[in-house]
Amino acid sequence: MRVEKLDVLGVDLKPKKTGEQSISKVAIIGGGYLGQEIIRTVARHGLDVVFIDLNEQIIKTTMNSISSELDHLTERWELTVGEKKAIMSRIKGSLDYADLADADLIIEAIKSRTREAMVEVRKEVFKKIEAQVSDQAIIATNSTTLVITELSSELRSPERSVSLHFISPVHESKVVEVVCGLHTSKEAFEKVCRFAEIIGKRVIRVTESPGIISTRLVAPLINEACGILLEGVGTVEDIDTTLKLGFGFPLGPFEMADKYGIDRVVRWLDNLYAEFGNLRYKASPILKKMERANHIGIASRCGFYRYNEKLIKIQPDPK
Amino acid sequence: MNILVINSGSSTIKFKLYYMTEAQLIISGLVEKIGINGSCLILERPGEETIKFEGDIDDHNEAIKTVLAALTHASYGVLTSTEMIHAVGHRVVHGGESFKKAVQINDQVLEKIKECYDLAPLHNPPNYMGILAIENLLPGIPQVAVFDTAFHQTMPAYAYMYAIPYSLYKKYGLRRYGFHGTSHRYVSQRACELAGRNYHRSKIISCHLGGGASVAAILNGRSIDTSMGLTPVEGMIMGTRSGDLDLGVLTFIMNKEEIGVGAANLLINKHSGMLGITGISSDMRDIENAATKGDSRSQLALEMYEYRIKKYIGAYSAALGGLDMIVFTGGIGENDDMIRAGVCRNLEYLGCSFDFELNANLHGKEMILSTPESKVTVAVIPTDEELMIAQDTYRNVKKKEASIKPVINSPN
Repeated sequence: MRVEKLDVLGVDLKPKKTGEQSISKVAIIGGGYLGQEIIRTVARHGLDVVFIDLNEQIIKTTMNSISSELDHLTERWELTVGEKKAIMSRIKGSLDYADLADADLIIEAIKSRTREAMVEVRKEVFKKIEAQVSDQAIIATNSTTLVITELSSELRSPERSVSLHFISPVHESKVVEVVCGLHTSKEAFEKVCRFAEIIGKRVIRVTESPGIISTRLVAPLINEACGILLEGVGTVEDIDTTLKLGFGFPLGPFEMADKYGIDRVVRWLDNLYAEFGNLRYKASPILKKMERANHIGIASRCGFYRYNEKLIKIQPDPK
Repeated sequence: MNILVINSGSSTIKFKLYYMTEAQLIISGLVEKIGINGSCLILERPGEETIKFEGDIDDHNEAIKTVLAALTHASYGVLTSTEMIHAVGHRVVHGGESFKKAVQINDQVLEKIKECYDLAPLHNPPNYMGILAIENLLPGIPQVAVFDTAFHQTMPAYAYMYAIPYSLYKKYGLRRYGFHGTSHRYVSQRACELAGRNYHRSKIISCHLGGGASVAAILNGRSIDTSMGLTPVEGMIMGTRSGDLDLGVLTFIMNKEEIGVGAANLLINKHSGMLGITGISSDMRDIENAATKGDSRSQLALEMYEYRIKKYIGAYSAALGGLDMIVFTGGIGENDDMIRAGVCRNLEYLGCSFDFELNANLHGKEMILSTPESKVTVAVIPTDEELMIAQDTYRNVKKKEASIKPVINSPN
């Protein structure tokens, strides 16, 4: 088959503005739990994904983990074996930021420790990304409690920065929050909104504010559940069951905490407390204690619940 | 008269240009990956090298614009201007209960196509976009919609109704509509021509066996029943679709496996059928290979596949009050002699005498496969839905035939 450029037909297609160019390759910085969820979702929608991580071993572990999670979806009838193969072929791990050169959208999804350290680390990551990518590429963060205006403040072109917040589990959640920072250009914002729609998400356009909508609702909910538990009002199971059966939540607050990571929830709350100074955001002593003990949830197989080697919740003994 | 046939999907547009009334295919092709990375136009010209044009094609309007540019290009095209296209025929998947045959498109027709979005959410919206793109680029050109469901609109209510609360039929239009109508109509007519039978006085069972599969009972030129229903899942066992299934099985699985509607839908549409039974492939060639080598599940799947068709032939013979013809079409129906033989074995009780020798190794050709003395004629007819759409379009627009026939240019 002979291959030609479409231009030879002389067809008068509308010129593409920056924001109208399609996104075909996405890069994720950090292949942690949420990073992996984003990688899987993007690749499932036919886009190429490269992710950057710290060493070969982590990359290998991440690829294995993505593969096994896709196997899990296949077992649950949500994916065919052929689709899984196609998805895996679109994903590549790398140590080298130079592999971001042809990416259209780069999403930072690195794991945070403390607020102060992470702002600086992320700023550095943003600068490293900018040194490699094209002028049109968009740099986004998945963080909600750190604001994009601050993270992008040292970029040469901060107008290309957007905050794009996925909610876990990414493949099930139907929304993403897209945040327009102080510097964000309309083109960059619209392009990210288009990307979100391509991967099947409803876009919630939000104004920049720490925690935006999702984290600011969920973190205090978990915190309040800990308060109820501390006061001895109800058990972990009863509090979760009340929210699930009473209000139709798919997960209870303690199941959410275990899933998102108790360390992460503490960080969200710390960031919100630092930003707003309101006591309702002060992390419960239960959360702090569990974080110190590394009982951080599914990731350590121990949180408010215990989990087996396949990370399935071990049902508590009946009363 | 030159007629452009468009089959507009969500990210693909297939097209064919016919010169009528000779029904001559002049040029064809497709636009792939509309709105996603790697979009291209592939142009296939009879007797010439196929050419792929690569570049960004963002939406259906741009895709149609690209097709028209290719058709009228001095080197690659066959027309000197778009004015040489006299009418456009569109494949539209769902016409609901509004359309019993092909119709020329106007505002009311467009509105009805939109009303059927809920019944064919993956197909009708891109079909609609294709029509709008043509209207936008060739304003005023006659356009005709040919519906997959229209042929089966002659089914009697006792065949198309589901035995569920009648209010749901009134509320959502939940009933059996059937699909592959254009194919069933084409092959049944063509089979009658081939066999010298009167189409309007024949009892025909048409078997469209491809990745999707359906069987239709056609009495005197009218579909009186078909195996697909509200959706294409009902009826035959297909590549990855279950076909007929006790609904209790699905609710049992949903309960036991704790899966939601989305996964249940995928389970019966993508994980089931021949793939689900064999665990090997949805492709009949792979399954037959495995069966030949002794794979018991592949052997079972083939037996189930043939048995399901055979069962429908029996049921539809009863519905038709006898049988004159069985027609095979679709990728499997046209090419798979083993399946045809399996289906037609032991149909002597219907008066069907099948010529197994003639059938062996017949692939993709028109042929009568029953013996001369057989009361029931068995035929293989390669389907040609686009030609049918071109013919329907031609009949609908009723313009004087244009004198200028397209010429295939040789690219530099």
